[in-house]
Amino acid sequence: MLVGGHGESNPNTTWLQSRGLWISYAVGMLTLHLILLSIPLLSVAVAWTLTNIIHNTCHFIFLHILKGAPWIPQDQGDCRVLTHWEQIDYGQQFTVTRKFLTIVPIVLFFLTSFYTRYATGHFIVNFVSMMLVVLPKLPQFHRVRLFGINKY
Amino acid sequence: MAAKGVVNEHSLVGKNGVSTQHDRNGLRKVQEFCIQNGKIQESRNGSTHHSKEKKRKTVESFEQVPLYTAVMTYLGFYLLMFLGWLNQLLFTPNVAREQNREGYVPLYNRFESFYLRYVYRRVRDCWNIPICSVPGAEVVLKDRITRDYGWTFEFTGTETKCLNLGSYNYLGFAETKGPCAEESAQAIRDFGCAQCSPCQELGTNPLIVELEKLTAEFLGVEDAIVFGMGFGTNALNLPSLLGPGCLVLSDEKNHASLILGLRLSGATIKVFKHNNMKNLEKVLKAAIVKGQPRSRRPWKKILIVVEGIYSMEGSIVKLPEILELKRKYKAYLYVDEAHCIGALGERGRGVVEYFGCNPYDVDILMGTFTKSFGSAGGYIAGSKKLIDYLRINSHAACYASAMSPPVAQQIFTSMSIIMGKDGTMEGLRRIRQLAYNTRYFRERLKKMGVIIYGNQDSPVVPLLVYMFSKIGAVVRTLKQRRIAVVGVGFPATPLMEGRIRICLSAAHTKEQLDAALETFEEIANTLGLRYSQQRRPTDPVLYGVLDKVD
Repeated sequence: MLVGGHGESNPNTTWLQSRGLWISYAVGMLTLHLILLSIPLLSVAVAWTLTNIIHNTCHFIFLHILKGAPWIPQDQGDCRVLTHWEQIDYGQQFTVTRKFLTIVPIVLFFLTSFYTRYATGHFIVNFVSMMLVVLPKLPQFHRVRLFGINKY
Repeated sequence: MAAKGVVNEHSLVGKNGVSTQHDRNGLRKVQEFCIQNGKIQESRNGSTHHSKEKKRKTVESFEQVPLYTAVMTYLGFYLLMFLGWLNQLLFTPNVAREQNREGYVPLYNRFESFYLRYVYRRVRDCWNIPICSVPGAEVVLKDRITRDYGWTFEFTGTETKCLNLGSYNYLGFAETKGPCAEESAQAIRDFGCAQCSPCQELGTNPLIVELEKLTAEFLGVEDAIVFGMGFGTNALNLPSLLGPGCLVLSDEKNHASLILGLRLSGATIKVFKHNNMKNLEKVLKAAIVKGQPRSRRPWKKILIVVEGIYSMEGSIVKLPEILELKRKYKAYLYVDEAHCIGALGERGRGVVEYFGCNPYDVDILMGTFTKSFGSAGGYIAGSKKLIDYLRINSHAACYASAMSPPVAQQIFTSMSIIMGKDGTMEGLRRIRQLAYNTRYFRERLKKMGVIIYGNQDSPVVPLLVYMFSKIGAVVRTLKQRRIAVVGVGFPATPLMEGRIRICLSAAHTKEQLDAALETFEEIANTLGLRYSQQRRPTDPVLYGVLDKVD
């Protein structure tokens, strides 16, 4: 299996730019939300909060915790210390993909706050989860590892 | 009186009586003139040969994926990754477990082997199929089955003869009989199997010297140097031509060998969009204005690196526009003709002849002998000064083993046949047959409504199937119907562009292509390959017509 032999040494950097990603992402989130809404035990507010939390957890794990790529790298291992977020577009900031991925948790937070009627408990949980996902995306946090977590 | 060569500076009068002396910074530039048909023609790079650049209409298409298919492809990938993750979590067969390694670090990182072992492994039987014959127009595949979903294979003992649409055999020189094979065998008897030494020590032998001369004559340039490995030609020669302080403009879809060579050289690399001349000019201008990264000094050298035919896309480089840009911004040009040497042009001389350009205009012509010549190895051709420099300073000339004699003889014989030096019309016949096959096959596929990428003259035809599992399905179905093709998916191609890459050959007859196209027509229905949303052409496709009458 040859990885990225024509143009890119690390395909992980550009696959998020592919056509149809935004729609698929929205469809995926909608499916998750509809599944949660159809569980009779959960109220609407809890369903929205759960959607927000599950979405942000997946976001955090896949973009900010997992490092490297699921194949043996062709760029002599440069990407092994970088999380997927840092690899996107070879580290170039403020590209369209990065803007999309930053805005989505924020918009989801607005919707969740609205549908939970700004209840205090829900608000705190959702706010913390959103901050946890949006802060690592700031350019000031590029390649920053707090307290040595996830360094190698 | 002006004559070919250097002229007397003071009696120089150009066209319309205007003096064409250039006085720049006090340095007088002496120009070489040649009078032809009463017109004074300026010489470029030492050559006074000018062929008219034909205005070729480029017919290329890269249709975008329909949105519904894109969403389905993503869904397919998510499902595959999720199931693969579950698989990795729950079941690991003994084959994948390391034995007797207590206390040692694992050999393979679990995360890095995930895609290979849990996604690619499921369709692994479509790749690396052992073959039992020369990969000519037809190839004999050795059948194998897997009882544990791709972890291990067993040979069934049977063999299948298939039409070969997967090998880079553009002019059909992959043969076991014929002048090439006989002369290569004779070369082993005369010179041995291998040189076992670099060119600078004991590796140069008369075959290689003759081959270099013949290559230079074939391409129409002053000199050439050959190496034993095509990938190595790129990766090891670019570092000797460039260094820190040089600017390189490299196409988005350049091959891994070019990327490796450019990274090793230490030059500053700027990437421009694939075959996009406006973007190239923009990037070039911006880089020249900015200068070197920290010191803002002017660049030592500017090199534009492109390929003749991009084998994954099937597109042909826009050479005339690049030559114009090169002259305007005083850059050098490096063209990697791996897939188009022998396959493009009326006499098979590559993309330079295809566009009618002057080979002296391209500063560094690089190519490989693997595809059209049925052999192995690569060459670099250009001016004598360049080649002399490479002979001394190239890493490959100094450390890599020289090309082995039977390989060199195969290239020599096949090149002589292409040039017509054996006295027959065999070379021209092959080139023409490849051109007819290419046009015919591509037009017929377009009529079918499948999406194919690339230029109408490129013998590499990528047929897009998008979904990962569909690549496996198409390859397996075609193998059952006795057609051998190669599928390529993520991560070798972009995520949304999984494809079947068909390589046409001069060895294919029209009957074989017709049979293949009928199979494709049936598969297009059963497997759902008709993605094209453009109008399908309705006029009948004729074989052997290269220029359509509008």
